[in-house]
Amino acid sequence: MRRVIPALALALAAGCAPVESVSETPPTPQRVVVFAPSAAEVLVALDLGERVVAVGSHGPWPGELAALESAGSFDRPDLERIVELETDLVINTASVAAAGGHERIERLGIAVESLDTSTFAGVFASLERVGVLFDRQERAAEIAGEMRAGLERVRVATADLPRKSVLFVVGRDPLYVAGPGSHVDELIRLGAGMNVAHDATSPYQQFSVEAVLERRPEVIVDTSGDAGYWDRWPFLPAVRDGSVYRVEPNVLVIPGIRLPEMARAMTELIHPGTFAQTTDE
Amino acid sequence: MLTARRLTLCCLGFLVLLLAALAVGVSFGSGEVSLGDLWNDGLSERHQAILFQIRIPRVLVAALLGGALSIAGVSFQALLRNPLADPYVLGVSGGASIGGVVALTLIELPALAARIPQPLIVPVFAFAGALGALVLIERIATVGGRLTVYTVLLTGAIFNAFSAAVIYFIQSLASLEELHAIVFHLMGRVREMAIGWIGALAVAILIPATLLVTQGRSFNALSTGEEGATQLGVDTERLKRRTFILGALLTGIAVAMAGLIGFVGLVVPHLLRLWLGPDHRLLLPVSFLGGAAFLVLADTLARVLTAPNELPVGVVTALVGGPFFLLLLRRRGASHGF
Repeated sequence: MRRVIPALALALAAGCAPVESVSETPPTPQRVVVFAPSAAEVLVALDLGERVVAVGSHGPWPGELAALESAGSFDRPDLERIVELETDLVINTASVAAAGGHERIERLGIAVESLDTSTFAGVFASLERVGVLFDRQERAAEIAGEMRAGLERVRVATADLPRKSVLFVVGRDPLYVAGPGSHVDELIRLGAGMNVAHDATSPYQQFSVEAVLERRPEVIVDTSGDAGYWDRWPFLPAVRDGSVYRVEPNVLVIPGIRLPEMARAMTELIHPGTFAQTTDE
Repeated sequence: MLTARRLTLCCLGFLVLLLAALAVGVSFGSGEVSLGDLWNDGLSERHQAILFQIRIPRVLVAALLGGALSIAGVSFQALLRNPLADPYVLGVSGGASIGGVVALTLIELPALAARIPQPLIVPVFAFAGALGALVLIERIATVGGRLTVYTVLLTGAIFNAFSAAVIYFIQSLASLEELHAIVFHLMGRVREMAIGWIGALAVAILIPATLLVTQGRSFNALSTGEEGATQLGVDTERLKRRTFILGALLTGIAVAMAGLIGFVGLVVPHLLRLWLGPDHRLLLPVSFLGGAAFLVLADTLARVLTAPNELPVGVVTALVGGPFFLLLLRRRGASHGF
């Protein structure tokens, strides 16, 4: 019963809200289950956070969404909960693992929107799509404009910096790194870095330690929680120069509308002090 | 007939094969350094690190684990008189897998990290799981003071199925990161270790392996059936129990260190039996050396084929070993026993 009461409260709140502002446009989704943390960020930015009735079990979820109940995981949605919550839209990440669940949800008459936020272009396209779905195109375009301006400022600040070789670690044992096709790779390039895993064949790939030693990265950004591992190779430029950074995965690994902040954070890791003088409003 | 001369020659031949495999293993990798550079005075620090801290430790670990799995396989095939027996048939690997998977879900616990160094948490738990399974399976499979082939096989099969269910249960509750770690742990993968630990691993593997090698004559007797072996003066109960424990120890160590590497313990003994005949006095030592060489070469392929990505070595052992074995079976199989 405990779960039903907030759901009821939300249903009432949704019922009271003006559903249709213009009579010709179809009603926008009112009760949303979101499995993609990056999409959740977009919803919150568009002031649509209160329409989210449940989230996935793999966060992190922005603000008040963190307190919402779970409707399963992105690849194993809890169909009964989704129906029970009178969901009218499920937002998920575009992935093979998630695709299997989409058909099952759609068969129940519930719309599914899969968003690919794994690249810069994907983040912008997703933002625009959510704007269309919820009839908030103008606000979405405004946010996209701010993001582009923020990224452009980073681009200008790093344009004349020397390129440094960077290793971005997402997992240890076995070593997993970010390669081309990931937003991390784009962040590295924007921050005046060169990804040492430039020949990885997938966005996140297992990588041999030997290859890392051979390529001598000047900066190592480690989100695996085991950054101390690199100390055993003191001849690596990154270790020698104290440029091995342990970073919480949430800061850089989950792409979304915080891309400009991420680009600034990445630049500060690769070229410390780049933004020390300027303040970005 | 197996003469002392043939035994010595074969063992020496396989020793040379193993040394050659080790040389190949040290020569290839994603770093641009090879065996010949060992005698190069101006070797850079990173190439020294690649050779001495990554490649050489890794080929040594691969050799030890390959030998352990292969000799455990040949011993279980003799013990159970069953061609399908491999090191994992007794279910001890299931216990080791559960131990390893449990460790991966607990590895972040500070209380645990304070007591066991982090790289050892998984092997320690996995080996404890293997020992637990060994004791449990031995108790269950002993009926009326006797360890029969029938009960051993069934107990092992059921224990393996039970372990798989326990692992699926843990997996379905695990976080995405834990799931990732579990999948990679179970897939079977050789990794480098500090040289001191390799010494300890060598002792832990070579002692039971040597004890198994001395059982060749008894295994030959056992292949005529248990009654036949008893008439030939073999204490079959003692032989079976000893083989079970030694083989299970070797399997437990291998799974604890490297997860489930398939095919080595099945294909290498069969291959050598087809080639050299069924005499266990020869088969046991040669299986150890041949299994060691096989896993070193398979692990080298795993490192090189998709570099800088690495394949799980179990994928290579099955992809290379499977077709090669079937080919040999077609050509030679009919004339020999299993």
